[in-house]
Amino acid sequence: MNFELGDDLELVVETARKLAESELTPRLRESEATRAVSEELLSSWEEIGLADLEVPEAAGGAGLGAVARVLVNEELAAGDAGAALALDPYGPALTTILEVAGQEAASKFVASLSTRPARALLIMSEDAQVDLASDRISIDAPWVTADRADAIVVLHGDEAILLREGFTFEHVRGAGLRAAGASRLTASSAPIAARWSNPEGASRAKSRARLYYASLLIGVMRAACEFSAAYSQEREAFGKPIGHHQALAFLIAEMRIAVDAARLLVHEAAWRVDAGLPSAAPASSAWAECIDVSRTVGPNAVQILGGHGFMADYPVEKFMREARALGLLCGGFDAAIEEAGRDLVDSAFPLSLTTHGAN
Amino acid sequence: MEFSIDADMQRRIEEARELGEKEFRPAGLEADRNAAPLPVGHPFFDRCIERGEGRTRWAGLNPPSASSAPTRSVVGTLLVMEELAYWDRGIINAMPGPGLPEQSVISMGTDEQKEKYLGPFLKPDRPRWACFGMTEPGAGSDAAALTTNAKKDGDGWILNGAKCFIGSASRSDWLLVQATVDPAKGRAGQRAFFVEQGTEGLGGFKIEKKMGLKSYESTSFTLDNVRVSAAHQLGAGGRTEKKAGFKTAMQTFNAGRPVMAAQSVGMARSVLDEAISFAKLHDLTKKDRVRDRIEGISRRVRKARMMSLRAGWLADQQRANIIEASMSKALGAQIAQESASFALELLGTIGGAGNHIIEKLYRDVKAMDIVEGTGQIQRMLIARSLVGLPR
Repeated sequence: MNFELGDDLELVVETARKLAESELTPRLRESEATRAVSEELLSSWEEIGLADLEVPEAAGGAGLGAVARVLVNEELAAGDAGAALALDPYGPALTTILEVAGQEAASKFVASLSTRPARALLIMSEDAQVDLASDRISIDAPWVTADRADAIVVLHGDEAILLREGFTFEHVRGAGLRAAGASRLTASSAPIAARWSNPEGASRAKSRARLYYASLLIGVMRAACEFSAAYSQEREAFGKPIGHHQALAFLIAEMRIAVDAARLLVHEAAWRVDAGLPSAAPASSAWAECIDVSRTVGPNAVQILGGHGFMADYPVEKFMREARALGLLCGGFDAAIEEAGRDLVDSAFPLSLTTHGAN
Repeated sequence: MEFSIDADMQRRIEEARELGEKEFRPAGLEADRNAAPLPVGHPFFDRCIERGEGRTRWAGLNPPSASSAPTRSVVGTLLVMEELAYWDRGIINAMPGPGLPEQSVISMGTDEQKEKYLGPFLKPDRPRWACFGMTEPGAGSDAAALTTNAKKDGDGWILNGAKCFIGSASRSDWLLVQATVDPAKGRAGQRAFFVEQGTEGLGGFKIEKKMGLKSYESTSFTLDNVRVSAAHQLGAGGRTEKKAGFKTAMQTFNAGRPVMAAQSVGMARSVLDEAISFAKLHDLTKKDRVRDRIEGISRRVRKARMMSLRAGWLADQQRANIIEASMSKALGAQIAQESASFALELLGTIGGAGNHIIEKLYRDVKAMDIVEGTGQIQRMLIARSLVGLPR
């Protein structure tokens, strides 16, 4: 039992946090309005070397796992979740290929994305209508967090399906995360560039995708908590800071408890992924928990700021919208509890502890 | 990051499971049925002594070797406590031993006091108890408001007042009683005094009737001109200095609240297992609504466990964990209560009949949000850190 990150991960987290504080937070409205991250931001991102987090070492990446990913995503999303998505060239499309098709295919996939900045997109069949023929695929996804892509990976049942052409993006307003873009994506009998089938790998890919978005959600909620808690110490009403009225003090305590507990489930599930342990139910459960608490954390952050919270002058309305929007992905809450609960009554999960070694 | 446990820990949990299933569960059910704590002469307590339980952690004035007692991690304690509470939370409190005041005596007591009050617990000849008397009818969470007073009388002290909800008080060899010597000073004006059972003026013992956790006694008593000597005051000589040190440690890391959280988790796990058994028995597991509820309970129990383990792990590292400890306690108690409530709904009128263990757990678990700092006190402590909530 060890909750320590370790020096290497501490450094990664610290790097991501600094970037988020200095580059993402100050530009969050600008990125939202322009539906993109700036050129400068992209180059500073590439410089710090976090873009290749999960790229296999053989292909020149850091080869890190799910724990590193969830830690980095939380930090970036605490700045701007939309920008976090925009900055990651591969997203869970890469980890899907990695898990379903293996290291070599993943390395090839990364090498094939030669344009700068590259953008690969994962679509889970839970989030779109997918019709599959032997060498063709049709997709209608009402909302994806991108305005363009060099490649699309569809996670469909036990399969990962790669598309390089034949899809179109039609811009939509987007409920949130607009810094990454927001589009309806359609493909009509698009040619399949490659497809792999691997039930176990597909299940792990799904876990990693859910943890990817779960950690973004944790970051958004953390930002909402921190911003509203700080505001509550400055804003005065009835002769004292509003945070010193117990009604708000307790609410702020509740919000912090909710986010901390959800984060621990995300970390535990990510640890299972990296340790090669069964992770489908823990990841679904962690994802469900993040969505569950986001329903109150986001709106409560706005509530603490009152009328100001409703205005776009403060970021909490954005946090509220984006927390809600993130929770709609990967099949949302219902799919998550469906999967987390599927074998609950017959298996030892979730309450058995994992025993390790003998010392 | 590493969330597994080692084989030794697994073995300790299994031992706790055996003890819990064989001893704690039947004893707890018996007490609940009889609506009274297990009597002092109950064979359960004799078996505790035979197994070597009910002893003090104090090594004695001249410990045979420096490394006599193995230091055990807080995380380990949490996992064992979780398992024991799974079988019966009340019995944990009913166990013989020096109990709550033990740590205060070890930290602040003089050698003479340790010898006199903890000595009999080194290798007890029979089940023995001790208790700590803090709570009063008019002073619970606000301990600074207690009115039991100690007045100087020559070399000694005269104690007057009333205490309530004191665990095992009527069966205790001695009671460590918190009293004020200067009400104007609040907590700083309070001292603790050893009062031996049978001392003149100590009486009026009344074992309270409770909603749940019936297996241990929560007792009220009165102090009517109880005279104790100067040697009965905890600490005496170097007391203030030592106490300051103790307080500092307490303010840095706390292991008590994560233990309450772990016990809450154990009770909630018990609820969950019973709910799943019930659902299987009545062929409800195919129903989405039932499954969704069970999923919700299990998810919340897992997060409560992680919160408790994190707070305990921080204590093991001797790192500040005040906010984490309070969060785990507040969350664990709340989740255990919610879980029991959901599970009772699953049972419907079968739960309403009042003889299913989930119904007992529903009554037992409410106490977890009250003892060791109520949920409201925990939220105040958290808010002090987060937004500087004034005292």
